[in-house]
Amino acid sequence: MHEAPIIMLGNMRFDLSIILMLVVSCTVVFLIAKLATRNMSVENPGKLQNFMEWVIEFVQNQIAGTMDMKKGKPFVTLAVTLIMFIFVSNMLGLPFGIVMHPHSAEEATIFGQPIITAVEAFNTAAAAGQEAHVEIAFWKSPTADVSVAMALAAMIFILVHFLGITKNTKAYFKHYFEPYPVFFPINLIEQFSSLLTHGMRLYGNIFAGEVLISVILKLAAVNVVGMIASIPLMAIWQGFSIFVGAIQAFVFTILALVYISQKIETHDEH
Amino acid sequence: MDIVWSSIWITLLAFLILYWLLSRYAIGPLMSVMEKRRELVLSQLNEASATREEASAYVEQQKEALQQARKEAYDIIEQSRQTSGKQADQMIASAKEDAVRLKDEALRDIESEKNKAMAALRGEVGRVSVQIASKLIEREIDEKSNEGLVDQYLKDVGTKS
Repeated sequence: MHEAPIIMLGNMRFDLSIILMLVVSCTVVFLIAKLATRNMSVENPGKLQNFMEWVIEFVQNQIAGTMDMKKGKPFVTLAVTLIMFIFVSNMLGLPFGIVMHPHSAEEATIFGQPIITAVEAFNTAAAAGQEAHVEIAFWKSPTADVSVAMALAAMIFILVHFLGITKNTKAYFKHYFEPYPVFFPINLIEQFSSLLTHGMRLYGNIFAGEVLISVILKLAAVNVVGMIASIPLMAIWQGFSIFVGAIQAFVFTILALVYISQKIETHDEH
Repeated sequence: MDIVWSSIWITLLAFLILYWLLSRYAIGPLMSVMEKRRELVLSQLNEASATREEASAYVEQQKEALQQARKEAYDIIEQSRQTSGKQADQMIASAKEDAVRLKDEALRDIESEKNKAMAALRGEVGRVSVQIASKLIEREIDEKSNEGLVDQYLKDVGTKS
């Protein structure tokens, strides 16, 4: 199993691979968007501009499907950012990895800081009397990390409840006691379970994909037969991971829009 | 499962920065371009339909004008036909009138000539008959005193003849 390169700065733990991958995926998303809108034209859009417009129109259609388009307009940019960021993040872990192989706890340092997870792994191995084999992954999908996936879900959660409280106050508080006040605990649990499933679904899918990729890589390292067998397996799983990554980006965005629409929709006007 | 809290804050920060960058530099301008295109298409559609309406109105106008012109031409022909007919009638009528007038004048001339001739003849006959009578009865008769007698005689002749 790969360790995360976590270092201590002051009292805070920092996951360097997450920071690196967040910067990379933000840069990639921004570059794609910037290139697409470089020579914008009203009458003669280029290929990339067409692609970007297709993304925006796709998102607009999804928003129109979940809520009133007038209310949904401010969320177009949010949804486009979400879907592009998550898709790019999901794809980043697929093509290759950057792995560090320290041989001892003293070697497991970066910028002069010890990587505490690696040190810990060496210590437990030494305590058990085994030879430590530690791998530190620097390149992976940021969404394959529970903190990132849950951070995105939590952001949506906070946004949704903020919108519910400010824009639809009465219906928002009333909805916790429907259909009967007895249901209050259930409604409360529902809110938090939706937060949890929202983030965990993304994390679980992408993390599982990366785990399987590393398993296939281990199989390739066993012997020649394993190497030959791993090639078609890898091809199939990479293709499937692209599919899963796209689907998860779509699902995450759609769920975010559905949660938003649930909270800002006022049912009494029908 | 190990939640690293700093990752959460960094993720949020990174996402918000990305959101701001995208809305400021990419999606915002792109959406305004899309909106502009939508307006352009809409205005062109409107323009096209307005032009089509105008064209059909023009065609209608042209048709009407053509109809009008045709009617006017027909009226002119009809009028000229009528006036020419009338003129011919007038000419015939005036010719007839002239003929009648000429005939009447001729008749009147004939009458007056006849009367004049009759009067001259009457005088001549009176004189001649006096001469004849004076030669016959060889008696001098004063022309003037016998004029009444001659007239009497001629009247008698006129009524008998």
